[in-house]
Amino acid sequence: MLRGMWTTLKSMFEKPVTIQYPEEKRQVRTRFRGRHVLKRYDNGLERCIGCALCAAACPADAIFVEASENTDEARFSPGERYASTYEINMIRCIFCGYCEDACPTEAIVLGDNYELSFVERNGSIYTREMLLEPVSDGGAPTPQQTEPGKFTRSVPEMKDPQD
Amino acid sequence: MAKMINLTIDGHSVSVPEGTLIVNAAKKIGIDIPVFCYHPKMEPVGMCRMCLVDIGRPVVDRTTNQPVLNPDGTPKLNYGPKLETACTTPVAEGMVVDGLSEKVRAARKDIIEFLLTSHPLDCPICDKGGECPLQNLTMGYGPGSSRFLLDEKMRLAKHLPLGDLIFLDRERCIQCGRCVRFQHEIVDDPVIAFYQRGRALEIMTNSEPGFDSYFSGNTTDICPVGALTTADFRFEARPWEMKSSASICAQCPVGCNTTLNIRREARANGSMVIKRVMPRQNELVNEIWMCDKGRFAYHYMGSEARLTSPLVRKNGELVEATWDEAVAAAADGLRAAGANMVGLAGGRLSNEDLFALQQLTEGQGGKALLYSYMAGGEMTAALGMAPGSNFSDMGAGTVIVVAASDLQEEAPVYYLRVKQAAERGAALIVINPRETKLDRSAAHVIRSRYGEEAGMVAALKPGGRVPDALKDAAEALAGAENLVVMYGSEGLGLEGSAALANACAALVKASGHAGRPNSGLIGVWAHANDQGAFDLGFRPDVDLPTSLAQAAGVYIAAADPAGDTPALADALDRAGFVVVQELFLTETARRADVVFPAAAYVEREGSFTNAERRVQRYYPALPVRPGTLPDYLITAQVAAALGRALDVRSAAHAFAQMAARTPAFSGLTYTDLAKVEEQWPIVGRQDMYYGGTGYDNHQGLGVHLPLTGSFVEGQDAPSAPARPVPPRGALMVYPITRLYDRGITVTPSTLLKDRLSGPVLRLHPQTAAAFNLAQGVETHLTLNGVTAPVGVQLDETLPQDVALLPRSVGLPIWEPVAITVSQPSAVNDAGN
Amino acid sequence: MTEQTTFLLRHRAVPNIDQLQVYRENGGFEAFRKVVTSMQPADVLAEVKSSGLRGRGGAGFPTGIKWGFLPNNIWPHYVVANADESEPGTFKDREIMESNPFQFLEGLMIASYAVGANLSYAYLRGEFWQIAHGLDEDIAALEAAGLLGDRLFGTDYSLRLRTHLGAGAYICGEETALLESLEGKLGQPRLRPPFPAVYGLFGKPTVINNVETLANLPPIIEKGAGWYKSLGTEKSPGIKIFSLSGCINKPGNYELPLGTTFRELIFEHGGGVPEGRTVKAFMSAGASSTIVTADDAALDTPMDYESTQNVLNAPLGSASVIILDDSVDMAWLVDKTVHFFRHESCGKCTPCREGTYWMSHLTHRILHGKARPEDIELLDTVAAQMQGKCLCALGEFSTMAVRSGIEKFRADFEANVRRAPHG
Repeated sequence: MLRGMWTTLKSMFEKPVTIQYPEEKRQVRTRFRGRHVLKRYDNGLERCIGCALCAAACPADAIFVEASENTDEARFSPGERYASTYEINMIRCIFCGYCEDACPTEAIVLGDNYELSFVERNGSIYTREMLLEPVSDGGAPTPQQTEPGKFTRSVPEMKDPQD
Repeated sequence: MAKMINLTIDGHSVSVPEGTLIVNAAKKIGIDIPVFCYHPKMEPVGMCRMCLVDIGRPVVDRTTNQPVLNPDGTPKLNYGPKLETACTTPVAEGMVVDGLSEKVRAARKDIIEFLLTSHPLDCPICDKGGECPLQNLTMGYGPGSSRFLLDEKMRLAKHLPLGDLIFLDRERCIQCGRCVRFQHEIVDDPVIAFYQRGRALEIMTNSEPGFDSYFSGNTTDICPVGALTTADFRFEARPWEMKSSASICAQCPVGCNTTLNIRREARANGSMVIKRVMPRQNELVNEIWMCDKGRFAYHYMGSEARLTSPLVRKNGELVEATWDEAVAAAADGLRAAGANMVGLAGGRLSNEDLFALQQLTEGQGGKALLYSYMAGGEMTAALGMAPGSNFSDMGAGTVIVVAASDLQEEAPVYYLRVKQAAERGAALIVINPRETKLDRSAAHVIRSRYGEEAGMVAALKPGGRVPDALKDAAEALAGAENLVVMYGSEGLGLEGSAALANACAALVKASGHAGRPNSGLIGVWAHANDQGAFDLGFRPDVDLPTSLAQAAGVYIAAADPAGDTPALADALDRAGFVVVQELFLTETARRADVVFPAAAYVEREGSFTNAERRVQRYYPALPVRPGTLPDYLITAQVAAALGRALDVRSAAHAFAQMAARTPAFSGLTYTDLAKVEEQWPIVGRQDMYYGGTGYDNHQGLGVHLPLTGSFVEGQDAPSAPARPVPPRGALMVYPITRLYDRGITVTPSTLLKDRLSGPVLRLHPQTAAAFNLAQGVETHLTLNGVTAPVGVQLDETLPQDVALLPRSVGLPIWEPVAITVSQPSAVNDAGN
Repeated sequence: MTEQTTFLLRHRAVPNIDQLQVYRENGGFEAFRKVVTSMQPADVLAEVKSSGLRGRGGAGFPTGIKWGFLPNNIWPHYVVANADESEPGTFKDREIMESNPFQFLEGLMIASYAVGANLSYAYLRGEFWQIAHGLDEDIAALEAAGLLGDRLFGTDYSLRLRTHLGAGAYICGEETALLESLEGKLGQPRLRPPFPAVYGLFGKPTVINNVETLANLPPIIEKGAGWYKSLGTEKSPGIKIFSLSGCINKPGNYELPLGTTFRELIFEHGGGVPEGRTVKAFMSAGASSTIVTADDAALDTPMDYESTQNVLNAPLGSASVIILDDSVDMAWLVDKTVHFFRHESCGKCTPCREGTYWMSHLTHRILHGKARPEDIELLDTVAAQMQGKCLCALGEFSTMAVRSGIEKFRADFEANVRRAPHG
């Protein structure tokens, strides 16, 4: 019994493991499946080509995709096709990551953000504007005006996944 | 009865008629031999080499003619040194086909690998993904990884428009030739062809505009990859995302069975929309085809311009009203009109809608009129195609007469059916004042003069004195085992149509074949359900302006007489109380006292009766547009307010009521219309690489109505109007039908805009010269009181001293009429 | 041997035999007159059958038997002369048509009489347009001389000839592709069955014979089947023109009896290999052939349809013998043949269209030192994958040089792969 009480006493002086969220936020692990991000290429073009394979793979039917035609005057992604409508219903999503596996261009990835609260049901629909990642340095926002014949290939050459 | 052959495929016995190809024999027992270039509706070519199988034939001793046996008593088999194509090899007695051996499996893998060395990895962006035979067969038989270097892949044109309607992706093409063979063999429009050779073999189009064929959409169904896709459906949706609904095309009286694919669309604010129209298999009507008008001209139903609220005229203006108000106003107005009312129906209405209108009109004691420039529906009811008829069964021994119809323009799929019957040996007799595409398939071409078609048909009747020019045709007729007579509306108004119908009906009756399968009279109507209207008691009126003008009450549904001709607009202005049921605020609706917003036919159930008198059911694909109601419900509400309860709570209910009261529909129920049978070839979702991506039919083949009524020659039909002689300086103009006109059901489909017929006068060069008209130089014509600009098109194949003008292109022509022409700058000259 | 030693390449003995008068002075058209005035078509057929003449275009099918396949209840019949000579290494027909055209035409006319054709065609490859013009003039001369036209020699028999030019496609030497081209359609082979003998030009029974085959007919009729059988071998009777090319001192056409050995052709007639090199290998049927290692056994093999096939597993074909000396890199040679077939493939069937394309990329990479070691195996696999699956012989033949080249001269291929670092 004393040993038990000693354990309790000892723990009073141990450093607490509580993370003071939201002031402190814990680092997520690699491969953490959080909120989706629609990635871009370095030049700013969107990776998503509107193929809807993510929607097909989703076991919860959370993704809605509508595709449209790219033109060189208004180009959103390389190749002929881009997602003009892209919506994920976060209430339906189970964060399984099947969409990420299905994507042929590594466009949709599950990122680190887990802070997804909203106050109305409508707020659960995340649109493409909300999901697209910001343009990196050296890239231009979409739609872009591009040189004809330059961005003709929709599906890039894929490497084996690194993580 | 064909001789039956017994053979073994993959260990299973099958017995099929002699001449059956191995690939089809396998299909009969559920074995799917993979194919790309073979299509059950076309001649086999054996080019893709995917269907290679191992074939063993029993060895026969030449001296004794007896089969040689193995020691164990089984027949000795001789397997060929090479694999053979199952699609080109007919079955033989005792044959053993092996599709499961290692050799065959390796061959299939090799062929897929060869195809994939050139086929781009486009699946994510390709419209065919999800319903792609190449995808399916790759999963089933192909290698898992590629041995080909990506950099060496053949690069060809992608996203190449073949005209406005079809896109070609040459990289995806696997050179199966189905599209080229379809265009050459089946529809006789060789506007696409192979070009270059070897790996550079590619599809090209040699017509202007590109891919100029009314059947181009069908090639996208039979293309086994995403090489040919429609511009209409480009990037619209994935096949698995859409719901399907069975329907009937409402553009012409063939009644092609269709499947509508629908999906919720963000662009349409979340409402359900039709994404595309696909053919549904009905071997008795349209086989697995449909024309481009039906496939692409459906957008009018989704238009923002549709009426969504009842309108009532107050203080001279049409203002929105509630349903109760509008119904009450309509009933009040019609009650006051009493028996002096007209119920005018358009042929777009379903049988149920027509029934309701007819009941209302009858209840009031009014006249039930059909808005149509064609007559004879009661004759086609009495002498129409008998149950058991099927164009696919017609061949040698059948005579088909097509009078006054440019069949490919008036009903494209009928053109296909008749052409194919002619190719199987049917004797086709074409009677027409000008050359049309159907002439190519005709055994006898009779060039009548405009206005004399009825006389020509009458002259063919057996027993009369046949002019020399018609002797061959008459002889063919006399020897016919079956006789089909089809009449159209080439150059005819209602009077001329009545005379022609009468002559055609008399010909059918005199032949003695009436009432037998594969014989009968067919009217190539202007609308989908004109036949249904006739069967339900509606009749066209030769003097419609007078009938309307003198009516105290007019109830119009799905017709726009005021928009068609000023004379009818005038008549409506002078008519009493006008109630209109419509989709849009047409010229007719603008003149109404009460306007009811109708639901589009894809938003509800109903049935159409096609020109062969087959009743077919369609199902709702979309929810009813808010604010609208189905036509029969609207009419029923008004009828109820007038004291005649119709009890039509649903379309099925209306049909049941109709069946109880109309001899033609006696005993029929919606369940009967929904019955299906197994059809051959097997087309549809299960095995789309065999027949294409048309839809299978499990929602109903329809029912062929029995013949009703009787025909007495000359009864109800005036004799043919005398051939009109135009006054000096004027030109006789005859109305013709063009498939893509400027009607309200076509123009909202903007992808067709460059193919629409415009107001263009067609004449022989010499006739044009006599009136100082030149090719392409705009002129003005004065027609039925309207002066308007027209283009001029010269055509040497036309007869002289006449001009032709399409209907429904914005000019008020509904019967042959004399016009004057003048130059745009000159004063209208009379008396040349 | 009689005093006349050349029966096909007669211009080498008789100058100006390409002129009608000279040809007639040397017995020309006596054979034709003989058949039309004194023989029944069936007799002509029997004589040719008896002679054992076999098709000289490459297939070696007995000509008389082929003529016998035409049904006698479907008319009209046609004879089409296949002058689409496009096999690399074959140039015999052009010499006949350029220098002894009337013998070819006479042969065509005899064949037409034998099968009852009243209108016959000569289909020439597009590159032979000058020859075609010459033939047109010759045909006009024959019409003027009453040897073509209506009621010849006072009999009921009428005959007209037409020439037709192709547009530069090797595949149109394949008889059904030739018919398609002649009908004005895309030159792609048809499905067989039905065979041209039953369903040929415009759907009617048609005989297609090679120029050299037809040129054999006048001497056969004139001198008799027995004479013809006395030349050559028992199963391959008669004379053949061998087109000799490649690493040889005296390339050209040599008219010799079938059964002559390769050694005799190469060293006695062809003058051997220049610069004292040795024969490393040869191809007996132009590019549509396996590569045969030129050991003694091979060189001593008689050149007839049976021996080359049975002993060397190589077809005799049109007897276009290409000599390859020890300076020839087989990888280079195979690249050349594969490039040819890829260029000439009609594209109708998947294995040939895709396979020749794939092989041409592989051979190119191998030859230019850009290949990986496994590419040689891959090349052989691709060729093997094509075999037994193609719609016509072009695809099948395109694989022969590849597979035999890798099998027998693998070192040449490996040397190329080792030349530069792969990748």
